[in-house]
Amino acid sequence: MNTFLKILLIEDDAIEVMKFNRAISSLSLPHKMVNAGNGEEALKILEQKDRLPDIILLDLNMPKINGIEFLSILKNDSDLRYIPTIILSTSNNQKDLLECYKIGVAGYVLKPLKYEEYVSKIEKLLSYWSINQLITI
Amino acid sequence: MSQHEVEILKRTLARERSARKQAEEILEKKSEELYHLNQKNKKAKDRLEALLKVKNSELKGFYENLVDPYIMMDLSGNAIKMNEAAEKLTAYQLSDGVLNLMKLTLPEDIDYISNSFKTLYETGRIVDFEIKIKTKTSKIKLVQINASIIYDEHNKPIAAQGILRDITLNKLYERKLEAEKQKYSSIIANMNLGLLEVDNDDKVLFVNQSFEEMSGFSSKELLGKVASSIFLKDESKEKLAIEHEKRKKGSSNSYELQVFTKTGEPRFWLISGAPNYNLKGEITGSIGVHLDITNLKKLEKQKEELLEELAKSNESLEEYAHVVSHDLKSPLRSINALVSWIKEDNLENLDELSIQNIVMIEKTLEKMELLISDVLEYSRVGADLHLDQKININHLLKDLLEVIYVPANIHVSVENNLPIVLGDKVKLEQLFQNLLSNAIKFCDKEKGEIKVSCVDVGTHFQFAISDNGMGIEKQYFEKIFKIFHSLNERKDSSGIGLSIVKKIVELHHGNIWLESKVGEGTIFYFTIKKENSYEKNAINKK
Repeated sequence: MNTFLKILLIEDDAIEVMKFNRAISSLSLPHKMVNAGNGEEALKILEQKDRLPDIILLDLNMPKINGIEFLSILKNDSDLRYIPTIILSTSNNQKDLLECYKIGVAGYVLKPLKYEEYVSKIEKLLSYWSINQLITI
Repeated sequence: MSQHEVEILKRTLARERSARKQAEEILEKKSEELYHLNQKNKKAKDRLEALLKVKNSELKGFYENLVDPYIMMDLSGNAIKMNEAAEKLTAYQLSDGVLNLMKLTLPEDIDYISNSFKTLYETGRIVDFEIKIKTKTSKIKLVQINASIIYDEHNKPIAAQGILRDITLNKLYERKLEAEKQKYSSIIANMNLGLLEVDNDDKVLFVNQSFEEMSGFSSKELLGKVASSIFLKDESKEKLAIEHEKRKKGSSNSYELQVFTKTGEPRFWLISGAPNYNLKGEITGSIGVHLDITNLKKLEKQKEELLEELAKSNESLEEYAHVVSHDLKSPLRSINALVSWIKEDNLENLDELSIQNIVMIEKTLEKMELLISDVLEYSRVGADLHLDQKININHLLKDLLEVIYVPANIHVSVENNLPIVLGDKVKLEQLFQNLLSNAIKFCDKEKGEIKVSCVDVGTHFQFAISDNGMGIEKQYFEKIFKIFHSLNERKDSSGIGLSIVKKIVELHHGNIWLESKVGEGTIFYFTIKKENSYEKNAINKK
C-alpha cells in the first residue's frame, strides 16, 4: 500500500492549484504534488522517466494543448499510458465524458462550486488511489 | 421530119404502150388483192364485234357484282347505271326515276366539281377524286371516285363511268391520326425537354428544338454524328456505354450525365432513355428525353453546403455556450473557495453580520451557477435529439419519482394508463422533471396534491399536471414560458425551467398552456404528437 502518492496536477488556474494544496494540507495528507500549468509543461516533467508520478489529475480546459489532446499523447506513449489519469472538469457534457473514457481515463470528477464539496471529493479520490496497487516502471 | 426522127418516135410510142400495159396488169392484180383483203377485214370485224358484245356483257356482270359502288352517267349527269353497292351508298335507286347526280353534291362544291369534270372531259379520266355526297337520307359521306369517259365508235364521248369508294371512316381515322400526330409533334417541339433519337451506333437521327437549345448545337450540326463524342468526356462515356448496353437489352431507365454544350459549358442532364424498335420488333436505337438539371444540382449542392454550414455553426454555437458557461463557472468556484478561506481563516475575527454577508455571497454564487447551468441546458435542448425512441411514460415517471425529492406533505398521483410515445427519452424526462419540481417547489399548502394524467386527443396525447399550489396570475400565463422570466425570487429558480419545457414540447410537435387560479392551484397541459414521422434531423445527426 502506498502511504503517499506522487501526484502530477495539470492545471492552469492558480486558485485551483491553491485549492488543491490547501485541501491536502487541511486534510494533513502526506501526498506530494507537482503542478504543471499546461500540457507542454507536463510533458516536460514526464520526460524524467525515473521520477514519474503515481497518478495524474488533469484539467480538461487548458490553454495550448487541451486536456483531450494531452490525454491522447499520454495514451500513445508506451510508458506514460500506464499512469492512471483522472480528469478534473467542470463539464458534464456527455460528449466530453465519452471522449475521455474512449481514450482511456481512470476517472472523471466534476469540480463542484463549493469548496467544502471540493475538499470532500479530493479526499475520497486520493484515499481511493492510496489503497490501489500501482505499477512502478 | 426525117425518117430517122420518125423511127425514134415510133420506138418511143411502142415503149410507152408496153409500159401502160404493164401498169394495167399491176393495177388489176392489186385490185384483186384489195378485194380479198376487204373480205378478210369484214370477217375480222364481225368477229371483233361479236367478241365486244361478249366482253360487254361480261363487263356488265362485273360491274353489277362489283363490291364497290359503280355508276354510269350520261354527259348531262343523269345516272344510267348503278350497281347495288352504289344504290346502297346513295340510298337512291335507278328505278325511282331520273336521277341527276348533281343532286348528290353539295352546293359549296360546285366549282370544285366543274373543274374536276373538265379534267375528266379533257383527259378522259380522273383518278382519286374526293368529294362529299349527300345521300337520299341526307347523310353526308366522303367518297373517292375513279372515273373515265366512254366514247362511241367515232371517238365521241357519250357517257362517263366511275367506281366510288366510301372513305368517310378512312378519312375520319386519317384525320384523327393526323391530329394525334400533330399533337405529339407539337408536344415534342414545344416541350421543355430535349429529345434525342440515335441509332444503334449512337448516331443522331433526330433532335427536337429544345434539345438544340439545351445543347447549343443545331439539328444540322448533330444529324448523323455520334452523340457521345460530341457531348461527353471519357468518364461520362463509360457511364453511357453501360446505359447503352441496357438499351440493347430492351430496358429503359433514367440516369444523370455530365455533358458539355457547344460552348464547352458543363451541364448536368437527367436522361430518360428507352429503346427504339422498328416494325419487326428489332431494336434500332434509342430515344432519350433530356432534362437540364444543372440548376437543380447547383441548388442541391447549395443546400448541402448550407446544411453543413448550419451544422457547423450549430456545433460551434453549442461549443461556444459550453465554453462560455465553463469559463464563467471557474471564477465562481474560485470566489467560493476564496470566500470560504476568508471565513475559515478569520472565524474568530468576524462579527455575525460579516458572517451573514459571507453566507449571502455564497448563496449568490450558487444562484449564479444555477443560472449558468440552466442557460447551458437551454442552449442544448435541441442538440442530440433522438425523437424516434419508444417511451413508456408510466415507466419514465416511476423512475423519475424515485430520483426527485418529494417532501412528505406532498402526494404525487400518476394515472395508471399513460401512453407509450415516440420521442427523446432524455428530453421527456427533463420535461416531466421540470414540471413536477415546479409543482413541488411552489406548493404552499399543508397537504400538497399533484396529479399526472393523459387523454388521447386524436393526433396528439394531451398530458396534464395539476397541483393545488399557490397558482399563477392570468397576466403571466404567457410570460412564464419566456426565458429568464421567473415569477419568484428564489435561490433555486433561474426562470429558465419553463422555457426549456416549452422548447421540449415544441420539439415533440406539441403545445403547452396552463389554467390556474391564484391560491387554488395550477394545471399545466401539454401535447405530444403521436405518430411522428420525424424527419431525420440532418443538422443534429450530420
